[in-house]
Amino acid sequence: MSEPALLFENVGYAYEETPREAVSDINIRIEAGEWVGVTGPTNAGKSTLCLLAMGLAPHFFGGRLRGNVTVLGTESRGIKVIERSTDVGLLFQNPFTQISGARERVDEEVAFGPECHGVPQAEIEQRVEEAMRVVGISALAKRHPLDLSGGQLQRLALAGLLAMRPKVLLLDEPTSQLDPAGTAAIFEVLSGLHESGVTIVMVEHRLETLCELCPRVVAMVTGRILADGTPQDVFNSEVVQERVGMPVYTRLARSVGLPAPWPVRLSESAKAFGTPIA
Amino acid sequence: MGILNAFKVRMNTLAIVLIPVCIAIDWAGHAIASTLKLPLFLDSIGTVLGGLLAGPWVGGIAGLITNFISSGTVDPIAAPYSVISLAIGIAAGIAGYYGWHKTWPGRVALYILIVLVASIGSTPLNIGLYQGQSGLPFGDALYAGMVKGGWPTWLAAYIDEASGDIPDKLITVVVAILIFFGLPNRYRALFSVWRRPADEKAPAPAPSV
Amino acid sequence: MAGGLSLYQEGASLLHRAHPLTKGVLTLSALALAFIAPSLYWILGIALMLLILVIVAGVLRRLIAVALALLLPITVLLLAVQGFANPANHTVLFAIGPIVYYTEGLSIAAIAALRITCLVVATFLFSFTTRPADITEALMQRGLSPNMGYVLQSALQIIPQTLDMAGRIQDAQRSRGLETEGSLPKRARAYLPLMLPLVLSSLVATQERAMALEVRGFGLPVKRLNRYEFTDTAVQRVTRWALALAVPAAIVARLLGWR
Repeated sequence: MSEPALLFENVGYAYEETPREAVSDINIRIEAGEWVGVTGPTNAGKSTLCLLAMGLAPHFFGGRLRGNVTVLGTESRGIKVIERSTDVGLLFQNPFTQISGARERVDEEVAFGPECHGVPQAEIEQRVEEAMRVVGISALAKRHPLDLSGGQLQRLALAGLLAMRPKVLLLDEPTSQLDPAGTAAIFEVLSGLHESGVTIVMVEHRLETLCELCPRVVAMVTGRILADGTPQDVFNSEVVQERVGMPVYTRLARSVGLPAPWPVRLSESAKAFGTPIA
Repeated sequence: MGILNAFKVRMNTLAIVLIPVCIAIDWAGHAIASTLKLPLFLDSIGTVLGGLLAGPWVGGIAGLITNFISSGTVDPIAAPYSVISLAIGIAAGIAGYYGWHKTWPGRVALYILIVLVASIGSTPLNIGLYQGQSGLPFGDALYAGMVKGGWPTWLAAYIDEASGDIPDKLITVVVAILIFFGLPNRYRALFSVWRRPADEKAPAPAPSV
Repeated sequence: MAGGLSLYQEGASLLHRAHPLTKGVLTLSALALAFIAPSLYWILGIALMLLILVIVAGVLRRLIAVALALLLPITVLLLAVQGFANPANHTVLFAIGPIVYYTEGLSIAAIAALRITCLVVATFLFSFTTRPADITEALMQRGLSPNMGYVLQSALQIIPQTLDMAGRIQDAQRSRGLETEGSLPKRARAYLPLMLPLVLSSLVATQERAMALEVRGFGLPVKRLNRYEFTDTAVQRVTRWALALAVPAAIVARLLGWR
């Protein structure tokens, strides 16, 4: 059996000076190339999961870690976040605070990460051009980062991560501060990355989006995993529907009395309601 | 020796990122004072705050760079005083390490320390470079009166400088302390996790870089 | 538009094209020599040389505008105070009512003012002809740590950003009834309501910025690679050495009695 991309074994974590654990008894195995969506109500521990995978918990935050978090074969206790950054990236929610703030041009900003890694200049230029192209900001290359809109900035931040060619990409509600156009652009990029084999773990509140994009969903509640499986399995479970919610299609199908299993995606619901889809 | 422990901090990413923020606070403090036409400089609030939050390196470097940048862009006359801003940041950092800002006697001591560092430090520069004058009209008038009245120039120069520093550093220290305690608890804790104050419990594993 | 801090003026003069280190040494030597030189004529000579460089750089008009605003107040203060009160005074020049002005004090003040002028002109000469990005790059090429390079680069962006935010906060507070004009106590009371929100929001973002930097590998112990190269010539190198050595030489000359 090949080595998983991410492996959480009996993981529990509590932040500094906080008696209650933010996450407990986490057991997840994610294979290379999977696209996993993580969802749940507030304080479910979703962001903490990302921080654990990146190593920011416990290295940046201190706190108490139980169990083992192993990413790409290396246990997270033994590797610094900056060392991890060669293969793993984390995109935060806020587009404005995650850019370096030390570069005056978009292309220089994208180059920041590779520069920190000591990549030779010629290769940096190649990676920057490639990353900007993938996220669609090549036209903005010479602009000042602060002249960009929120959506453009988030794509810039993503390009900055892609320039390091990560094998694993973590995203913590990447589009919650963006408008619909910005949101669509990001998800388009992610779909492309998924096709090229990047392992993606994405925290997302919008259940319709989650079910549409992610072949696998992990639902969390108060720091524990409630369900882990396909969107159909996860959102057909009564417990999940009650404690996490359900996509609008599922709710609709339920409320009109359709029998289980209920649809979780647009394409499925069209079928369930008996309408031919285009 | 105890005081050297104030300098034993790991300059982790958080500390490094804090420095430009403190520099910006220095600038903003001065800009707002200018807009409100207040007769004070108030250009060291970030420096002092940085020292209180994160120690002498952060405070000192912030003060130094604030001064460098302003010397290069708006006021080269202030350039030689970079070393004074450095000293103020270091002083605030040492006081922060000992927790002076947490008690009333300590706060007074912090203020007096900053005033002394600023005035005693600046006076020799004033004497050597600017004929003993501070460049502030009120202070310079005092200087003129004292020298004319037979007082020694070094004393007149000191009074000149101190007349500006006493009110300026008072408001600076007051505002810095108000901001410090106005921060949410977890932010103060965040920045001090990697320091090791003698009077607090042993910290949990510090975040490494 | 972001980046409103720099004084840099586009140009292609000799000075614009010179290595930042050369210009830096020039500025520091010029101002050191201005303060070490003993008499008016020497300082005047330095000032004139600086003026020639300013003209060569093509920044005369802008420099005069900025420099005058700075130099006028301090010059007036120097003349007013030293002419009146300097201990070396004994030759009366003129009197304004009861206030008597002496030549000794006035000439001392003139020398001090001229020295300050050299300081200001030398510094602005550097600022007007050098891009901030080049300054930080040159420093890092010569050994400044990447962490400190980051601090400088970030400061240069965050300062104008924060000043903009201060303006917005001021507008918002004023529309809520904050009084920013009037008597001194009234204006003073406005200080904290304007400072506090600004500082808090600046500090709050710090944690996330630090995390994001680590996620990109900031602080990895890699050998720094030059992002681009500056042209440096033998002439510049010699000039730098000459300028640098002129300073200790001048100090020695002073000690040996240079007047």
